[in-house]
Amino acid sequence: MKKPHLQIETLHLRFGGIEALREVSLTVGEGELLAIIGPNGSGKTSLLNCINGVYRPQEGKILFEEEEITHQKPDHIARMGIGRTFQNVELFRNMTVLDNLLLGRHVRFRSDILRDGFLGYRNREELDHRRKVEEIIDFLEMEQWRKTLVRNLPYGVQKRVELGRALAQEPRLLLVDEPTSGMNQEETEDIARFILDIHEEVGTTIVLIEHDMGVVMDISDRICVLNFGKKIADGPPPEVQGDPEVVKAYLGEEMQKVEGKESRS
Amino acid sequence: MREDTIPHLLWRNVKRSSDRVALRQKDFGVWQEISWNEYGRHVRHFCLGLLSLGLKRGEHVSIFGENNPEWLYADLATQSAGAVSVGVYPTNPPKEAKYVIGHSESVFVVCDDQEQVDKVLEQKADLPALRKVIVIDMKGLRRYKGPLILSFEEVEQLGRELDQKDSGLYGQLLFNLRPEEVALMVYTSGTTGPPKGAMISHANVLNMLKAMTQVLPQYETDETVSYLPLCHVAERMMSVFVPLYVGSTVNFAESLETVQMAMREILPTVFLGVPRIWEKMLSGVIIRMKDASWLKRKIFEGFFQVGQRVTRLNLDKKPAPLGLCLLHGLGDLFLYRALKLELGLLRTRVVLSGAAPISPEVLKFFHSVGIPVLEGYGMTEQTGVACANRPDDVRLGTVGKPLPGVEIQLAEDGEILIRCPHNFVGYYRDPEATARILEGGWLHSGDVGEWDSAGSLKITDRKKEIIITSGGKNIAPSEIENRLKVSPYITQAIVIGDRRKYLTALIQIDYENVGKWAQERNIPYTTFKSLAQNPQVYELIRREVEEANRDFSSVETVKKLTLLEKELDHDDDELTATLKVRRKAINERFGHLIEAMYKG
Repeated sequence: MKKPHLQIETLHLRFGGIEALREVSLTVGEGELLAIIGPNGSGKTSLLNCINGVYRPQEGKILFEEEEITHQKPDHIARMGIGRTFQNVELFRNMTVLDNLLLGRHVRFRSDILRDGFLGYRNREELDHRRKVEEIIDFLEMEQWRKTLVRNLPYGVQKRVELGRALAQEPRLLLVDEPTSGMNQEETEDIARFILDIHEEVGTTIVLIEHDMGVVMDISDRICVLNFGKKIADGPPPEVQGDPEVVKAYLGEEMQKVEGKESRS
Repeated sequence: MREDTIPHLLWRNVKRSSDRVALRQKDFGVWQEISWNEYGRHVRHFCLGLLSLGLKRGEHVSIFGENNPEWLYADLATQSAGAVSVGVYPTNPPKEAKYVIGHSESVFVVCDDQEQVDKVLEQKADLPALRKVIVIDMKGLRRYKGPLILSFEEVEQLGRELDQKDSGLYGQLLFNLRPEEVALMVYTSGTTGPPKGAMISHANVLNMLKAMTQVLPQYETDETVSYLPLCHVAERMMSVFVPLYVGSTVNFAESLETVQMAMREILPTVFLGVPRIWEKMLSGVIIRMKDASWLKRKIFEGFFQVGQRVTRLNLDKKPAPLGLCLLHGLGDLFLYRALKLELGLLRTRVVLSGAAPISPEVLKFFHSVGIPVLEGYGMTEQTGVACANRPDDVRLGTVGKPLPGVEIQLAEDGEILIRCPHNFVGYYRDPEATARILEGGWLHSGDVGEWDSAGSLKITDRKKEIIITSGGKNIAPSEIENRLKVSPYITQAIVIGDRRKYLTALIQIDYENVGKWAQERNIPYTTFKSLAQNPQVYELIRREVEEANRDFSSVETVKKLTLLEKELDHDDDELTATLKVRRKAINERFGHLIEAMYKG
């Protein structure tokens, strides 16, 4: 196993009586692409929310690069180098793609009121940021939409912009929440390709939540399966695919659905 | 200095205007300039790099990718080494790419990115001659690194090293080039059989350039935007040969999607469009005018009519009355200038249409708004151009008069025969086809044409595609098809009627424009298929077809039509890389639809 980049130790998260996460322990190696899968409501997004500080787990520890981040604020965690995209697009809809990406650079801006006095310094810094953003536009092939307002873009492209904004932070760990939900086949393939490119070209460690099994099996190094807030499997794709517990978790959900329908009718 | 081969033209420019801008490429949102000096250096190093990888004279190198400066470097580097460069359409599916790379026995393939590399690797087993895949953009290829794959920079580095060891080597290579040697191969699009490799020599290219620039002069100060596939002879002419010959500047957009934006930023002075591009520009303007405010629409209609009247007089070489001239001047202020700026054609001096026949309706539109598009005609097999309308002598619906040095004859059956110093060398590995097409020293174009009263050539259609109805009437389907494609709602039209009682058409609607039309009328649809099945859409297209029918005699009108429920695609074998329709494939695939139109 590679050097651990993110360590999660016996994490517990409760909302009143509901146990969202139960004793979840997980290690992500440096430069690894880990996929988290599981039925709806199994705690996948809650886990991401714990990592980047939106939720505060009642028990357990989260270490990022051997530093504890369990009860840090989200902005501090972002500054430490953890980037994130969301399940539903969370962009500034009335701003251009370029401005959205530049906002992603916010955590990297070093100038303050004092230094702003020296225009030369600020201009230089802005140039550097613009350059970085242009590299991302090139990387994600978004040249044609550079000056387009986000609200005028197709959904699939908006998701791409969101990925770009997370990248603008230059994160060392990237959390990606369902990047392909609501996309057509072509858009899905594009996004999968981009995630793989980020992983291979930039070397970013990636934790990915994804429902599309084709994508998961194709691109991830390792898969972690959650069910009712508990980790039930963890291993390379072929191993997880054949795991009886995993099969049951997914099948079980189907059964419940069928039963639910019957009882209603 | 010699100027009798293509690489020698480059080196003349390096000597003459070393620091002038030769190429411009948009990178990270900023236009980066490349001087003739740098252009030359890249070519020199890449050439020597190929040499140190074992390239020999007469071998072939395929270039497989979108337009960018590296495409040009690879092209000229290959030619400098006395080898032959072969372009492959970036849109080619793996099988077609394999055909070209395999048939040309290419030893190297220069790919622009991972997408093309994947296609080549998929077919590697069938490409025994292939020794290296050279990649311009290595993004996404980390895991492929193997002995077969090399980056473009690595090859240039090899070349630099070889240059340091033996600085006279490159000069020696150039010295050895002979004008009559084959410089490049252009694979024809192949609407019927598999593509054929047309061999073109340095002398062919230089003779073509001499003839073409006499009719359409171009200068060092000219600018062009390179966007059509470079493996096609027309784009090669516009963004490689002519700029090398006159020393003008070529601009590369970031991607195909941003060409329009690049056009507005560069405002090229020379521009070549294929009919599809002109049709798209036209439908873009029409659709936008439908959405415009009442006032704008009236201004457009009014000044458009003024433009039409002035154009008609100009084409007939009659002077326009003073009042009309004044109105036309006003029109420039209110409409034409803005429109030209929007299309990026404000500064264009030489505006051409070629590669396929275009409807005179489309040309009339552009002339009326002050964009005098000149239609030309040529074939890959004679290095791209045989006839062209002159700026001062335009006859719409014709392809103009032959260029200086080009002789044209019509055979008994109307076939156009061409004899000129730039007739090609022959088809690669196909002496039979070569003998057939060059029979009697004339190039048999396969097109049927006629002379008009002023001595301009009018192309009727491809010889093989002429429809003879069961009534015995000869009909040129492409004329009708192009008229149909003038409609913003129609992207493709295939007219059928050979040995039938009447004409029918298969029509592919324009997804974007018809989709917009449907939305405005609250007609629900989910996919292309559901849109094409909608009876109201059918009614819309039927009206458009009726409108077009008015321009033809009754036997030439389309009596029945069927809307295709899928978009024709290159990947599905229905179109060629240049988006020409493969009739055979279509007749097979949609045979049942065709039959249904002739029943009952």
